[in-house]
Amino acid sequence: MTEAKEGDREDNAPPPQDRVEELIARVSLGERAALSELYDLTSAKLFAVSLRVLGERQSAEDAMHDTYVKIWKNAGRYRVTGHSPMSWLITIARNTAIDRLRARRNHAHVGDYEDTLAAPSQTPEQATIAASDARRIVACLDTLPEDRRAAITGAYLDGQSYAELAEAAKVPLNTMRTWLRRGLIALRECMDR
Amino acid sequence: MTQSHDDDEMLAAELALGLLEGDERNSVQRRAASDPGFAGLVRGWETRLSTMADLPPVTAPPSVKAALMADLFPETVKPPIWKRLGVWQALTGGAMAVALVLALMLTPLSGPNTTGPLYTAEITSDIGDFRVVAVIDKSRQEVILTRTLGGAPEGRILQVWAHGPDEPAQSVGLWPAGESIRLPLPPDIAAVRGTLTLGVSEEPPGGSLTGSPSGRVFGTVDIANVTGAG
Repeated sequence: MTEAKEGDREDNAPPPQDRVEELIARVSLGERAALSELYDLTSAKLFAVSLRVLGERQSAEDAMHDTYVKIWKNAGRYRVTGHSPMSWLITIARNTAIDRLRARRNHAHVGDYEDTLAAPSQTPEQATIAASDARRIVACLDTLPEDRRAAITGAYLDGQSYAELAEAAKVPLNTMRTWLRRGLIALRECMDR
Repeated sequence: MTQSHDDDEMLAAELALGLLEGDERNSVQRRAASDPGFAGLVRGWETRLSTMADLPPVTAPPSVKAALMADLFPETVKPPIWKRLGVWQALTGGAMAVALVLALMLTPLSGPNTTGPLYTAEITSDIGDFRVVAVIDKSRQEVILTRTLGGAPEGRILQVWAHGPDEPAQSVGLWPAGESIRLPLPPDIAAVRGTLTLGVSEEPPGGSLTGSPSGRVFGTVDIANVTGAG
């Protein structure tokens, strides 16, 4: 986990959304130069995700490779999914890293990106709303009781199952499921306010 | 909020978090693939949760990109046997029949300058809901496309794109309606030598406003060893 801190940090300005979106569109047509530029623009953000989830460099590098292969193969589905471009990329990076982590722990995988899809397309207005919702989740997470916040972050960033979350918190599995669901409902209500 | 809506929200959140297991996971996953409203809930949670992974950037070592590019684009590797034999042999029987009929119907059998090569290819979506057979006629610098499965959603049209190796994609033209269409190749595309990539996307009427696909790209196909006319 400490290795993440040793990497070169870049400034934290997000990659420009319009450019990322255009590059994903060009990648979907098999443009290699577009993949190369998309990688240059987004890999530091996605590597941070891989490192956070996997905790060590070699696995994180392997996960990055798999992440960009998936992006190359699935770019044509980006608009169909209704994500903003960075959430789409981060979701692929997170799921890829969690799959690798769970393979290490012998869990079932969380699912390849191509398993789901086909939400109605988002308008730019909806994407903007989604982005501001996303910023609010961080503030809303802070309003939750510590045990519920820990359950949500443990599931999302550490790939923990209900059984593992329950064991870590020393509560029965059904209690954990109730905690987590209540945490998620509170999160959504906080964000709807 | 109704009870069942709350239940759906929670299932969507649990799927996005990766907390479902076994049969429950499989059935919820199937629902996400078939129910657009439910898929929207999953997408909503994925988007919300993704900010938890919005972390300060960390530069990956250059070797990662080098390995990725070498893996995706192994230039030095010989093309697979089916590519060396030619695209005709790679087409499925049905697609080949369609392509043959198209080529015979749409290409004059005589006349000047009809000796350029003919390339055929098939564009299919990875989930199997869309299929187009394309014939590139270098003698006329045209591409002829015919749909054999699927099409643009209601209120949308198809748009055809192409590019050469390491070149930016450009629009070949719009395909507003009909089973088949014949489009002249833009000069840059007519000039491509080597691998020509063709793709089809769905777009608003009038075509993409961005110069790149703005809707779903159904698929692309690489046509190898393209040469000039005559």
